[in-house]
Amino acid sequence: MTALVGMTSRQLLEAADTLLSEPAPAWEGRWPRAVALLTRQALERAMEELFAVKSPPLMRASFRAQLLALRIWLPTELAGRVAYAWAALTRATHHHAYELPPTAAELAAWLETTDELSRTVAKRVAGAG
Amino acid sequence: MTDAKGAAAPVAVGATLTAIIVEGFRGIGPQRTLELKPGPGLTLIVGRNGSGKSSFAEGLEILLTGSNWRWAKRSKVWRDGWRNLHQPTGTCVQAQLLVEGEPGPVVLARSWADGAALEGSTLDVRLPSNPKQRASLAALGWTDALETYRPILSYNELGSTFDQPSEFHDRLLAILGLGEYDALAEEARQERLALDRRVKQVRAAVEPLLRRLDATDDDRARRVAAAFRRKAWDLDAAAAVIGGAGEGVGRDGVELAGDALDIAVLRALATIQPPAMEEVLAVAEAIRDGHARREALAATPVGRADELARLLRGALSFHARHETADCPVCGTAGVLDAAWRAAAEAQATELEALAAEARELDAAARQVSARLQRLIGPPPSILERAHEVGLERDAQTLATAWSIFATPAGSTPLDFAEHLEATIDPVITAADALREAAEAELGRREGRWRPLALEVAGWLRDAREAVAAEAESKRLAGEEKRLKQEQLRLKRERFEPVAKQALELWELLRQASSVELESIVLEGTGTQRRVEIGVTIDGVEGAALGVMSQGELHAIALSLFLPRATIPESPFRFVVIDDPVQSMDPARVDGLARVLERVATERQVVVFTHDDRLPEACRRLGVPTAVVEVTRREGSVVELRPGLDPVRRNLDDAWAVARSDFVPEEVARQVVPGFCRAAIEAVCVEAVRRRRLGRGESHTAVEERLAEATTVTTYLALALFDHVKRGDDVVDRLKQWGPQFVEAWSAAKSGAHAGHTGGSLEQLVKDTEQLCSRVRSVA
Repeated sequence: MTALVGMTSRQLLEAADTLLSEPAPAWEGRWPRAVALLTRQALERAMEELFAVKSPPLMRASFRAQLLALRIWLPTELAGRVAYAWAALTRATHHHAYELPPTAAELAAWLETTDELSRTVAKRVAGAG
Repeated sequence: MTDAKGAAAPVAVGATLTAIIVEGFRGIGPQRTLELKPGPGLTLIVGRNGSGKSSFAEGLEILLTGSNWRWAKRSKVWRDGWRNLHQPTGTCVQAQLLVEGEPGPVVLARSWADGAALEGSTLDVRLPSNPKQRASLAALGWTDALETYRPILSYNELGSTFDQPSEFHDRLLAILGLGEYDALAEEARQERLALDRRVKQVRAAVEPLLRRLDATDDDRARRVAAAFRRKAWDLDAAAAVIGGAGEGVGRDGVELAGDALDIAVLRALATIQPPAMEEVLAVAEAIRDGHARREALAATPVGRADELARLLRGALSFHARHETADCPVCGTAGVLDAAWRAAAEAQATELEALAAEARELDAAARQVSARLQRLIGPPPSILERAHEVGLERDAQTLATAWSIFATPAGSTPLDFAEHLEATIDPVITAADALREAAEAELGRREGRWRPLALEVAGWLRDAREAVAAEAESKRLAGEEKRLKQEQLRLKRERFEPVAKQALELWELLRQASSVELESIVLEGTGTQRRVEIGVTIDGVEGAALGVMSQGELHAIALSLFLPRATIPESPFRFVVIDDPVQSMDPARVDGLARVLERVATERQVVVFTHDDRLPEACRRLGVPTAVVEVTRREGSVVELRPGLDPVRRNLDDAWAVARSDFVPEEVARQVVPGFCRAAIEAVCVEAVRRRRLGRGESHTAVEERLAEATTVTTYLALALFDHVKRGDDVVDRLKQWGPQFVEAWSAAKSGAHAGHTGGSLEQLVKDTEQLCSRVRSVA
């Protein structure tokens, strides 16, 4: 078991959700990329939380390998959706030629997948004691 | 203006937009105002599909055109969803425009009552010059102008440009102000069609009439039918045949034949005048009277009496003058005395009376003879033709009686007088019988023919009218043709400058396309009207539009529509284009930026676009552009903010979050490095594009290179060393530049994932800003 520092995936998800549903005026126009950043961080952190308990060595593997390894502990269908959400979030958070920020609907879908991931991870981690 | 009515209000010209305000319509819930800088210049409204950006464009269009056909044609999904889902009430779209001669913005507002249909809107127009009065689009003189110059172009419209050749032709034609020719030609055409219909009607009516004529066993019917069967109806011949249908045959001096002649014969037979009974009796009496008197006079030699009377008168005259008593003739003396004189005078008077009676009797006898001759003329010759109408038996009876009557009989005048009295009765009886028979036959024949003849007469009137109509129709057709030719000539002439401008715009737009536009001509009239576009592909002439790509077709459509929307005659100084970029490749987007730049020098150009391609091209090509970014939150809350280039935008975002008192520190630490990384990547992309496109590489090749960059390090490698694999050199170069550059790079690399754990966020943003300007200056 490896100790993790910083915000938990749950905290990051809550921050993203708040930003998506009721952004403060300071976020006007900026919230789409910020929500994408936070959601992706939540997703990556949730995976760290899983691997820290189940298989710390995996945390040093490539992210692609980590995504594939997810299906050892998660339903295959959810693992697939997580992989897709991660790719989309990555695209949304890097500067991509000609692309505009993601829409609220897109973000909501990725946020939901990440939330499901986070909850499932929490169950698995608790199950492992 | 093509308004042919002429009486329209003066057109409000020079209109530019200052704001579009939308509420509860399509993707926009709570009211949002899109402010626009009036006057010439290019404004890009950038937002993802579904961000609500197009709702401003559509809102403006429905505001100006109402329930125009374009809306009626929209899909059911669109029509059902035109009200905003989150705010289905208080739907309203407004625009503020500056118009020449108005002291302030003209406000147009279209609103819908709750539950009203899309078509059920009301438009409120307020002019600052007369704020209390409700105005209208018509009062601004814009009703036709909006249709003619269509200052709002949508992707849909561009896409369907070439689907309907005649519609496309008309849309271009409308700007040329040739409407009055159309109106005139149309008027002539309508009139001609009405005449043609009349002629057709009359032609159709002749068929049943012909069938009835054919079914009638009457020579007149046959002759009328023949006249109608000629290639050009012989109306005069037909008229001649029916001429006597009412009033008697043959009276118009028309030569008769056949059945018409039969009628004439019948009429003649019916009107035969036999010797009158009174005359016959009178003549017989006169014969008898003459005879008796002649018998009485027979003893008196009338000649001798006359001579003797003259001799006695002579002797009396001689005696009166010479007073002698001796007879100068025989010499007897003393005989011529007074007694002689009285006796001689009495005798002379008696003799003179006898002679006068004899002369009177002669005269009376001559008179009777003449009357007799008249009575006993031969039977009328028409009787010989009675067999033609089947009345020969009656005619024969009459002829026989008549001949008997007219043939002198007996040896004395008294015998003849008796003969006359005895034979006249059968003549009169026979003549009466013949007249009755002829009249009966006439009645029979007229009874069948007359209604038909009346019908023919009625049709003849129509036919004469139709013949005149046909001539007039021909004249009108000629007139139409002349108008059309004149219009065609003017059309080509007036369209030339528009076509020239379109060709120039295409030259800018075509970029790498091998399609050359040679000519654009409005051709044809009526259903053949179309826009003839002369296209050369790779130098080969006569290519069809069909071989062109969707993007090329859009570009050509845009080339044609922009001159139309920006023609000097248009009262609108703005043009709004909704998403022209969709199917364009990057090179053509550069061309579009150039085209818009050019149009924007004289017009207010507002372009709605769904990605960053057009803004990027404008930034790179240095096209002066105002950008507005549109995003839409949950609940249809639409946000508008001025657009910046991506580097500036990301740094701006990073600063705003790093400095905000309202963003929790831990959230800011998670988010700010991500913005910083995006800023560095953006500046790298900008540098790579500028350098590679600047040295002539194709857009496709440049985009392929950029796609190889996936991390901040590879982006920097591509920007600084022109190759993604030179990440190691990047680190060395950053070290050379100074620790803060390394710091910024490193924070962007890891912080985007795990958040910023090092020093202050503000320092990080500062370092990133420095890194960006350094990359910009060296690359």
